Amino acid sequence: MSAPHSTTDVLVVGGGPAGMAAAAQAAAAGLSVTLVDERATLGGQIYKRMGPGFEVADTRAIGRDYAVGERLISQMGQPNIDVRLLTSVLDLDGTSAIVCEREQSTTVIQAQRIIVAPGAYDRPVAFPGWTLPGVLTAGGAQTLIKTQRVLPGKRIAFAGSGPVALAFPAQLHHYGANITLVCDAGPPPRPADMAAMLIAAPGNLALLRDAVGYRAQLLRAQIPVRYRRIVVAAQGVGRIELVVHAAVDDNWRVIPGSERSERCDALCLGYGFLPSVELLRLAGCAFEDDEDRGGAVVLVDDWMRTSVDSLYAAGDGTGVEGSLVAIDEGSLAGLGAARDLGAIGSHEAERQSEPMRRRLRRRRLFRRALRRMHRVGPGIYELADETTVICRCEEITRAALEPALGASADPAAIKALTRAGMGLCQGRNCQRTIAGLVAQRHHCALGQVRSPTARLPARPVPISAVTDESIEDYGFFTAPATPRN
Amino acid sequence: MWLSLSDTSSSLPSDTDVLVIGGGVIGCALAYYLAREGVTVTLLERSELNREASGTNAGSFHLQIAIHQLTGLEVDSLAHRLLPEIRLYVQGSRLWQNLERELNGSLEMHVTGGLMVAETDKELSLLHSKQRIEHDAGLETHVLEGEELRAFAPFLTPNLKGATYCPTEGHANPLLAAPLYALRAAQAGAAIRTGAEVRTIDLEQQDGFVVRTSRGSVKARRIVNAAGAWTNDIAAMLGLRHPVRREGLHVNVTEPRERILTPLVQHIGRRLTLKQSANDTFIIGGGWPARAVGDDGRYRTVWASAAGNVTIAARIVPALANVRLLRTWSGPLAFTDDLEPLVGPSRQLPGYFTCMATTGFTLGPLMAQLLAETLAHPTGKSAVPDNFAPDRAAAAMAAARS
Repeated sequence: MSAPHSTTDVLVVGGGPAGMAAAAQAAAAGLSVTLVDERATLGGQIYKRMGPGFEVADTRAIGRDYAVGERLISQMGQPNIDVRLLTSVLDLDGTSAIVCEREQSTTVIQAQRIIVAPGAYDRPVAFPGWTLPGVLTAGGAQTLIKTQRVLPGKRIAFAGSGPVALAFPAQLHHYGANITLVCDAGPPPRPADMAAMLIAAPGNLALLRDAVGYRAQLLRAQIPVRYRRIVVAAQGVGRIELVVHAAVDDNWRVIPGSERSERCDALCLGYGFLPSVELLRLAGCAFEDDEDRGGAVVLVDDWMRTSVDSLYAAGDGTGVEGSLVAIDEGSLAGLGAARDLGAIGSHEAERQSEPMRRRLRRRRLFRRALRRMHRVGPGIYELADETTVICRCEEITRAALEPALGASADPAAIKALTRAGMGLCQGRNCQRTIAGLVAQRHHCALGQVRSPTARLPARPVPISAVTDESIEDYGFFTAPATPRN
Repeated sequence: MWLSLSDTSSSLPSDTDVLVIGGGVIGCALAYYLAREGVTVTLLERSELNREASGTNAGSFHLQIAIHQLTGLEVDSLAHRLLPEIRLYVQGSRLWQNLERELNGSLEMHVTGGLMVAETDKELSLLHSKQRIEHDAGLETHVLEGEELRAFAPFLTPNLKGATYCPTEGHANPLLAAPLYALRAAQAGAAIRTGAEVRTIDLEQQDGFVVRTSRGSVKARRIVNAAGAWTNDIAAMLGLRHPVRREGLHVNVTEPRERILTPLVQHIGRRLTLKQSANDTFIIGGGWPARAVGDDGRYRTVWASAAGNVTIAARIVPALANVRLLRTWSGPLAFTDDLEPLVGPSRQLPGYFTCMATTGFTLGPLMAQLLAETLAHPTGKSAVPDNFAPDRAAAAMAAARS
């Protein structure tokens, strides 16, 4: 087809930590780089810039990330990096990407190598009342605060798990929010966990300092963290007024009779993140399942190469491990692409990659030390009752899903029977929950449940931006249509 | 309510009268019509019901003579062939119109009428020729031009030369038909089994077949090959080959929007079928290709088909320009070399039958019903036209040799 066409040595998809680090490495090797991101500014979610004039009580709470982000963003100004914002990738097919700019026009970018750094999004958790106004994800609340200077409520409850459960309430507190309840579904830290963290700490001192700091901040603010408790319902007329939480066992399954409720006007949910894998699926990459890193995670080798030729992946989109890991993974991918294209010698690439690999090893050690506390239990996907909406786009309740769950263990078949996952978000908000319900119903591991086929476009796109009169309508599948006599 | 996995995954019956291979809409309909007649029937599907062409087509009932029957050919010389075919389509659409009552459930069936548009003078004259044949066959269609067309279909571009309107065209939800047939079939006594892939078929000494599957063996007195795009894979197990080919078909769907379009829209000269579904999304197809991944009937949708297809759609219905394309999908399209259905008993191999309707959503249930009559009443005259016979190509070759 003859749609507008551009070429580049390396196409980087995603302008967060991993994408920017990849672009910087590839550009440093002298390659031409095109970096696309669907947002209006670089930085991804972690380095999202604050709205003007917003009061931060303690800049240290955000300072380090902020500085790292600004440094990476400034590197994107190099002449051999072409940054295209408000640009989303609709399809990845071989080394071609179809991209849409400002929802207005569609072009083809032909690259020698493509690095996908798509990031992650909040793990959606469906429970009775999760669709009430006032219930929002930690990421959503963060965006509100960082860009709009708006606090989600006056009495804010937080429920979640993992590093977010510690960091987010502390950060929110520093923005002046009144946090009245923090529930962490995981267990409280034991001395053994602390010891494991300390052993894994060399090279991760900043991470450990953060963890200790966040805890200290919560303690100072007299915000109690309730461990092994999960939010089981949000109640209210027209918006959330009451949050119900309950004790859970090791698998995050609710212990009956342990329910308590508290008044609040906002509930932030931070049960970790899921990688945005649509493009990697479209491209045909191989995946494995690791619930702790967000479920479906793409398989990569030691240069971040996926199973698909010329395609690399880096950052939280390859399994959620945070921005520091993302930067090193991105750098490795950029270096790997430069090496594979011959822009840098393999010996030199190896040498440059050493510190990145060393840091990645340490951080993974640290993460494993925290594993017991941060493991996601299957009970998280079993909280919905009959009337709970599972698929928000198509308004499909759990009751409406039941007959299809009985008929099939294949989410694609369930989708076909119910329309769950056919709406605007294309299953981003319901597929993991449905997979969890399938696993529960048919007694299999979550990782064994198949994912529906990925299809283009990866993002909804106005037809006016797609139309291309130059594409030839080259006729039907005309069989040798000799009429019978 | 649907047939439960505990039923479809239970053990296979050891023997059956009729074994249907393939769990698409035709296989499920066959199981239903046979069970209703008291015939002992077992259906085997290798994966899940309705996952291939039956569930991936756009769900339209096109009764007007379609472009693939006309391309490059003079209409008048085809009249003798098209007349019985149109009558069959009319019969097929009548079956659909009664199907929700028959199966006692929703298929999101809507008789909306359908337009076939022409952009050029040549296309307009084709519309007139085909309309005469349709009239002779008893299918009501009208040619609309100029102000009459604009008043009738204000959503169409004013640049059209004309359109034919057929009031009896419409659509149903292809995701619901086969599963509902299967449920009613099982309730009538049919054994429906999924996850059972046929591996070998052997002839028995006396009569009948032994079919070995991934889940055990079944003895069958008669076999119906309803494997759609995989018809030849099954036939090959018996040393047979049918004139069946498959391609990957591309379909687009948009976000839902306020209703602007009730009838189906298709094009006489371009690859376009378009409708606004019961869910208010626009479904845009018309025969654009998807790319084969491997050679076992898996297809990837491609950008050129998406862009080419929606470009024509937005040219014909300009309001589509500001609607967002949400998803594409693909499915196999099975068709015979002469574009006629492949239905009926094999003359070469007694007890073996095929049931495949070329591009078959509209005709599928009717083909199943006609073949079920033949199977249930084997001594009577076959309800299936002779020219649909599975070994017609071999027969024609033999006739030519003699």
